[in-house]
Amino acid sequence: MQFVAITAVGRDRPGTVAEFSGALLRLGCNLEETTMTRLRGEFAMLLLVRLPEDRTPAELEAELRKTAERMGLSVIVRPLSLEEAFPEPPDQPHPAYMLRVYGADRPGIVHAVASLLGEKGGNITDLNTRLIEGANGPVYVMLLEADLPSEATAETLRPELQRLQRELEVDITLSELEDEAL
Amino acid sequence: MAVREIVQYPAAILKQVCDPVDPLSDLGRTIARDLADTLDAGPGVGLAAPQIGCALRVILVDAARNPKREGQGRFVLFNPVIIERRGHQTLREGCLSIPDYTGNVTRAEEVVVEGLDPGGEPLTLTSRSYEAVVFQHEIDHLDGILFIDRITNVKTDLFRRKPKG
Repeated sequence: MQFVAITAVGRDRPGTVAEFSGALLRLGCNLEETTMTRLRGEFAMLLLVRLPEDRTPAELEAELRKTAERMGLSVIVRPLSLEEAFPEPPDQPHPAYMLRVYGADRPGIVHAVASLLGEKGGNITDLNTRLIEGANGPVYVMLLEADLPSEATAETLRPELQRLQRELEVDITLSELEDEAL
Repeated sequence: MAVREIVQYPAAILKQVCDPVDPLSDLGRTIARDLADTLDAGPGVGLAAPQIGCALRVILVDAARNPKREGQGRFVLFNPVIIERRGHQTLREGCLSIPDYTGNVTRAEEVVVEGLDPGGEPLTLTSRSYEAVVFQHEIDHLDGILFIDRITNVKTDLFRRKPKG
């Protein structure tokens, strides 16, 4: 069973998803997990795809290149091992947190926050940033989800986030994201 | 006692509108007991009858089984109806019938629920916050509505199990 991760980026226009997924379907691929989004005029697709038994990642890439060229997309096909396609969950699930950072736009906000999380052994699983109009110039908004090694890590993180908040002159809130199986 | 297997999607029963049931009937009593036995045998703060394979309008809610949350106690409700809703809250929900998937769902902050207790007596209660979410989630099950039907944004950080074979 062969899996690939495909990324494709291009100018946003109606019909992109239909055309690109149609090409994958004709190639016998199964779209397992995808995330797609639009940033201003750019549309990005990230797809985890299962290949048919009789097709190699290199063959898929060659075929997909033709489609991508016709559609004006930049595409990357990355072959995955079975372990990469299905990572083992940790023995103890890592608690997930949501971090919201917002304030006047300035260089280095993402880097500072991501570096701090990295030092603590945190793993960013989702990140969105937007630049919005504020009363006194552009305001940067970042929403970030991260797994932390433990709840204790979150407590040691809080004072450091406060320090970062002062240094960067932004507002930061951290809250645990609990999955509630009902 | 009977611990039943929790029905997993795509079982058709999870998308079915369930029928009312008399709490004093043999069937009603059996379901109430099996819901309790099944919930006690695993994790979870609530169950609806279709989740144990019965297309009947019975729910069990026990929000305080989650040590981080509060609840007013254990409620078995027959033919429950939400008669009032106030405010909004969003919670990242999962469901015992759809393992390994969660999503943010916005529901009422406070609900007034009406139904029959296991003795057949009318019961009306006001529930808030987390427990109110559990009531709304379980009552949705009785109409074949899953939390996926109410997700407003998708979160995909889940670990998928390896395929067999």
